Amino acid sequence: MQDVVRVRRHPTARRQDTGKPSHWRKNAMAYSLILPSLVFLFAIVFYPLATGLAEGFRYHSRVQPWLTRFNGLDNYVQALHDHDVWLALRTSLIMTVGIVGLSYLLGLVSGLLLNHKFRMRGLYRALILVPWVVPPVVSYISWQWMLNDQSGLIDVLLVKLHLVDSPVLFLSNPRLAMASIIVVGVWSRFPFMMITVLAALSSIPDDLNESAALDGANRWQTFRYITMPLILPVTVVATLLQAIWTFNDFGLPFVLTGGGPANSTTPLILLAYKEAFQRFNIGYGTSLAIISMVLMLLLGAIYLRLQKKQGVYQ
Amino acid sequence: MTPQGHTLPEAPIASRRLARAGNQLPTSVRVKRLAEGAVRHLILLVIAVFAIGPLLWAISSAFKSDSEIMTGLNIIPAHPTLQHFRVVLEQSQFVTWFKNSLLVAGGTTLLAIAIGSLGGYAMSRWRFRGHALYGNSLLVVQMFPGVMLAIPLYLLLTKYHLIDTLWALLVTYLTFALAFSVWMLKGYFDGIPKEMEEAALIDGAGRLRILWSIILPLARPGIVSVAVFAFLLAWNEFFFAYVFIASNHNFTLSLGMYSFIEQFSTQWGNIMAAGTLATLPVLVFFFLLQRALTRGMMAGATKG
Repeated sequence: MQDVVRVRRHPTARRQDTGKPSHWRKNAMAYSLILPSLVFLFAIVFYPLATGLAEGFRYHSRVQPWLTRFNGLDNYVQALHDHDVWLALRTSLIMTVGIVGLSYLLGLVSGLLLNHKFRMRGLYRALILVPWVVPPVVSYISWQWMLNDQSGLIDVLLVKLHLVDSPVLFLSNPRLAMASIIVVGVWSRFPFMMITVLAALSSIPDDLNESAALDGANRWQTFRYITMPLILPVTVVATLLQAIWTFNDFGLPFVLTGGGPANSTTPLILLAYKEAFQRFNIGYGTSLAIISMVLMLLLGAIYLRLQKKQGVYQ
Repeated sequence: MTPQGHTLPEAPIASRRLARAGNQLPTSVRVKRLAEGAVRHLILLVIAVFAIGPLLWAISSAFKSDSEIMTGLNIIPAHPTLQHFRVVLEQSQFVTWFKNSLLVAGGTTLLAIAIGSLGGYAMSRWRFRGHALYGNSLLVVQMFPGVMLAIPLYLLLTKYHLIDTLWALLVTYLTFALAFSVWMLKGYFDGIPKEMEEAALIDGAGRLRILWSIILPLARPGIVSVAVFAFLLAWNEFFFAYVFIASNHNFTLSLGMYSFIEQFSTQWGNIMAAGTLATLPVLVFFFLLQRALTRGMMAGATKG
């Protein structure tokens, strides 16, 4: 306990006695406390991950299991020449940037509007959070129905209001399908961004805004030079996390469009799934997932670095 | 005591100045304020409708007859019927799926709190070697694509005869819930002063005893956030369930909902009735715990 108290008082101070053999005994309790979570972490994530990594360097097709062999970087060379992979990568990028960018914007607007005390604030906040709790499959199916060109609400409305002559093919026109996915993605993710923005706003001391107002700053200037610079570092972490989740999101394209029409809404992660589970190319599918993982780890490295930086200021 | 007790945003300067000045403000300023309030409500109303519109439409369709569904644009059903709910409950294994989801989500929640509080306590009170490694590995789990893990995990679970059982989902969801659980609870534990523990230690209480009877009761808001998060994660997850579970009687609600697209193809009334039933528990849960949840999310969001 002595030790703990000292370290807690100087969180930045480095331990002086890390070399002493008593370290393990002194921390035996801590190690036994983290043991259960470590067991699950290894069994469910790290061990499968290691074996999975090996798959990415193999020719392994479930149709011809006897041909399974180590093939070095062949899968990645194949991926480089695969038109579908480049298309999928482009789709992943458009989806991620579109969804994360727009949900940040919408979250920012909602957060700024709700950062005032007024009647019904709690109600608005609760209603806006609803998309965050609805089971994604349920919401994607509901959206699929609303966007459907047979009896979907949106087309029925558009036709009734004479805005269009014939139903718009939201899900079977490649461009509109992509736009639909982005809208639905924004719908399901902006509540989280709003909460993040609200949390960041709550940490800005009032006197800052006050003194800016005294100095004659107008509202836009206050926002541009005080609010935004202060909330940006806090929200950037949540934004990166959102980007990773969106990039890895399987459910949205799978349920809403199935990746179609003609692969136009198949992001890399869905392509990896299709290769591995529908075309039974386990090795190749895994290598695509690995590519996606490496890209995300790069983003993740930025995330951890930012978090560390933030930790210093807190 | 309150690093995570992020109070909700304070009244901003503008409205407080308004309150201070009261009615002495010139009329033009008051009109401007009024107009501002109206614009704010208008924008928020549009956003709120965007947020809950799809859900409202789905729920309203669940109560409409088939003919009304195809043509009606009214949000309140003209002739409300429970027909679709009857079909869902009688002609599918919906009740079984519901039970499965409850079991998996409930189990995930309990274990995430139990195991997460142990890990969080260790991280909060000891600076053991591997401290940062442990914390970061928990976070890094969030970055691995599920598709990547699903293949080897599938083979592993098959080897231990856990594939196509609810256990497969429980252990997977639990692992993914642990990151949030450990970090969140660590944050709450950090805010609890050590003096109480020291007194208990001198009295000869064990660490686990202290965690159980002193620390956990004080960290209740954090536990609520973890519970909500873990429950939602397990209740809403689709991908791993889709890969791991093949038997209809082991489906969770997400899987069942997806299978409805095939079973009922365009019978949207049935699908929406099922969706309404699947959403109801999380919605009730959410509105009951909305305050704690928002606070927790805000604390979590700023911490990353």
